[in-house]
Amino acid sequence: MSWLQRLWNTFRPERVHGDIDREISFHIAERTDQLRSEGMSEEEAARRARLQFGNVTVQSERTRDVDIALWAEAHVRNVRYAVRTLSRTPGFTATAVLTLALGIGANSAVFSALDAVLLRPLPFPNADRLMRLSQTQETTAETNIAPVRLEDWNRLNSTFEAITGYGMEDASETSGDLPEKVRRAFVAPRFLEVWGIAPALGRGFAPNEHQAGGPSAVLISDRYWRRRLSGNPNVLGKTVRIGSAPFPIIGVMPASFLFPDRSVDLWFPVAMSNQLAQVRYATWYLGIGRLKAGVTLEQARANLAAVQAQLGEQYPETDRKMRVEVMPLKEITVSNIRASLWLLFGVVSVLLLITCTNIAALLLSRATQRRQEISVRLSLGATRATIAAQMLTETCVLALAGGAMGLLVAAAASAALRFVATDLPRMDEIALDVRTLLYTLALTATVTLLCGLLPAIRTSRDGLAGARNEAGRTHVSTRSSLQWLLVGGQVALSVTLLAGAGLFVRSFQELWRLDPGFEPSRVLTFRVSGSYGEMSDRNRLIQRIDGMIEEVRALPGVDAVATTIFLPGVPAQYESAFKVVEGRGDTETRMVAESRYVSPEYFRTMQIPLAAGQPCARQPLNATRDVMVNRTFATRYLSEWSSVVGLHLSTGDGGSPFGRIVGIVGDARERGLDSDPGPVVYSCFSAPNPTPYFLVRTRGEPAAIAETVRRKIKELEPLRAVYDIAPLEERIGDAFAQNRMRMVLLVLFATTALSLACVGLYGTLSYVVSQRRREVGLRLALGAQRRDIIRQFLMKGLRVAGFACVCGLVLASAFTRVLSRMLYGVSPFDPTTLSAVTAIVLVVVMIASLLPAIRASRLDPTHLLRDE
Amino acid sequence: MSGRKNDILQGTLALLVLRTLASNKRMHGYAITAHIRRVSDDLLRVEEGSLYPALHRMEQEGWIHAEWGTTEKNREARFYSLTPAGRKQLAAEEENWAKLTQGVGRVLRYA
Repeated sequence: MSWLQRLWNTFRPERVHGDIDREISFHIAERTDQLRSEGMSEEEAARRARLQFGNVTVQSERTRDVDIALWAEAHVRNVRYAVRTLSRTPGFTATAVLTLALGIGANSAVFSALDAVLLRPLPFPNADRLMRLSQTQETTAETNIAPVRLEDWNRLNSTFEAITGYGMEDASETSGDLPEKVRRAFVAPRFLEVWGIAPALGRGFAPNEHQAGGPSAVLISDRYWRRRLSGNPNVLGKTVRIGSAPFPIIGVMPASFLFPDRSVDLWFPVAMSNQLAQVRYATWYLGIGRLKAGVTLEQARANLAAVQAQLGEQYPETDRKMRVEVMPLKEITVSNIRASLWLLFGVVSVLLLITCTNIAALLLSRATQRRQEISVRLSLGATRATIAAQMLTETCVLALAGGAMGLLVAAAASAALRFVATDLPRMDEIALDVRTLLYTLALTATVTLLCGLLPAIRTSRDGLAGARNEAGRTHVSTRSSLQWLLVGGQVALSVTLLAGAGLFVRSFQELWRLDPGFEPSRVLTFRVSGSYGEMSDRNRLIQRIDGMIEEVRALPGVDAVATTIFLPGVPAQYESAFKVVEGRGDTETRMVAESRYVSPEYFRTMQIPLAAGQPCARQPLNATRDVMVNRTFATRYLSEWSSVVGLHLSTGDGGSPFGRIVGIVGDARERGLDSDPGPVVYSCFSAPNPTPYFLVRTRGEPAAIAETVRRKIKELEPLRAVYDIAPLEERIGDAFAQNRMRMVLLVLFATTALSLACVGLYGTLSYVVSQRRREVGLRLALGAQRRDIIRQFLMKGLRVAGFACVCGLVLASAFTRVLSRMLYGVSPFDPTTLSAVTAIVLVVVMIASLLPAIRASRLDPTHLLRDE
Repeated sequence: MSGRKNDILQGTLALLVLRTLASNKRMHGYAITAHIRRVSDDLLRVEEGSLYPALHRMEQEGWIHAEWGTTEKNREARFYSLTPAGRKQLAAEEENWAKLTQGVGRVLRYA
């Protein structure tokens, strides 16, 4: 009976029971037949047969107990024996359990992240039906949707249950003592309906709250409710003040509702009948739609494309060239982190493989020391299977202990990940749950087989050989060659990991070594809350922003102040297509460039040099704006013009002049340090929206002046909150959070892998030395130099490591295609990195080999030979 | 039920069953008891109650193999047969038995 079948029997006792009952009743029937043939009456025969058998139920119980007890007993015995054996060698056991805890823990932690972020659906009912909708045009990178068009889509389509949208802005909430910056979302009708989430308290927006002139209302987040309103259950009807306007709270959203993102605290309804909402040029909303059940992505795309084509006929001016893009929301949410997570998962799996190899090698050496014991057991009648089962049980006990500790490691790692990587999507959904637990259990089983099978089979076979051949010395060489193979494998895999880690480190350094074209150090950045309502009085807004620039500029220790919509060096992209007004009528190509709004002081503040023309200046609101272009724009698009300065640009769609070029500035890596500068058009306008970033060039440490700036703004604008205050370098660094996390983790795992490989190498070499003590003793007695002995063992370690390095590098080069997309400024075959990694590995291996080698050379020959 | 004169000595049941199965390819439990009784000239009588636990124990040890089949009388029965491990076990038990009887014999003779 296979053990699997026995396990099955244990859980399905009624089957076994039936078997036994059948067997016994057969016996009684036969006996009855026999007694009858001896002349007994039918009735008497049956009675006697049953009597002779004894109590049938008791017999069948006893038989069944034997079945289960024997199976369980064998395993309990194995486990007890394993625990006893392992506790006799606490050093070995502790090493093995800790190693496994690390391997399993790292793997479980990354799995829990992978599971939460990539594998699970978003936390909404039927989340796979949620789609992100956007409008795309060739002339602009702007994909936000005009409210009126959103309503058209919702009305005309046949594949979505509903389509809604939202926009976000920062505002200051003024009901407390100090104004507080809050992030609010403006939502289109059907918002909650599309998500499929109801407020935890109160109600959703009523239709009249989406009407112009209707009652005002606000939904608040669970976080905001707990923090600002101390979780008061009677919160409905209380008000939130934004600026000077009060909004009654109509509901509290559940804590799990973190969309658009976790920073949003307030949701406001937008009146779709509003005059501004009718403008088809408007770009307000990020669109979200819920597909009808059973509708495929392709059907939805085709349907919306048809709807948009129809709108194109109706409104050729604005809609003819527009297309609709439909993407699964989850795809959009997690796409940028997917590659990193799979990479990490690959890395921790390699780490686990190294761990297993390591444990397998340890178990092999250990088994050799126990050859005596195993030979005895075999000669006492134990079968090979019994011995192998015993060995596997030992590994299983180790793996279970390692897995349990691994869960602790994973819990700590997940907590750390949540803490460190707050900017990455869905990080707060990571948790150690039943799935992770099951995964860890499965991992433990796999580890048991991976680590234990080879030593178990080998040990039982060698034990058999040992039992027949008492001396057994001849087997040393074959056995250790397998161990060297395992050690070599570990070194090779850690070389692969180290090479990857090294490339990431180099790439990360490279990012900062490049000349970004602007000076990121000693710049403080911050924002001041504002509201889109201020856009109705542009002059006042400009006055406010320019006033703040002036005042902050006057602070001691400040050299220059500017505003900008996008931070330099922090990835953001806003492209437009431009035309030269003077060249109109030609069949000129569209000039696609990044469009940035900055205040005129921007170039001085960021130290972007002027290459030609004049610095730009403020122009009155209705006058033609001053525009600066960068060198790439001038050379790529305007080389046929003798003088670039003085040309007028217009944006492709509108047709009204966009601005007049007054100067050319140097190229700067505005879009992120890792992207080459493309063509840029800077429009010199300090207040294109109510909450631009302020950039403050300081003489000293930028952080040191933060408090002064905060106090100054409070003095100027007591009702506004200052937020996002941080040195520019820190923000650029944050933009590489994922990059950095990837690098740090990879380095961490690679060094762990290398240390494990070294432990393995050290262990194996020590073992080989102990096996060959007689030989060494003999050679020393015959006059060999201690130096030769050291060299011999050292070379053994280095030879294996050298070969492993080559294999590891070959393996690494197999992954270059994956890596090269994540690397910047470094080739995946970067000779410096690869040779440095090889050198590091060889040095570390040398240190790990030196100890056993020296120990071998210190052996006392007379002592050894006398022992013989 | 103890104290009956033809009870089988503890531990020898396995030997008897193994030996029986070694000379007969495939037998069910009832046939095993019948065989032991017949061959021993009715001297040894296997107690039914201990036979089946023993058979199952031996099956667990891997000495014998069991499968369901039908008898000539078309009854469902569980048939047992010897495995290679069982053959080895039989050899070991026979040797033990020989040693035991030899030892007991000596004690009886000289004690």
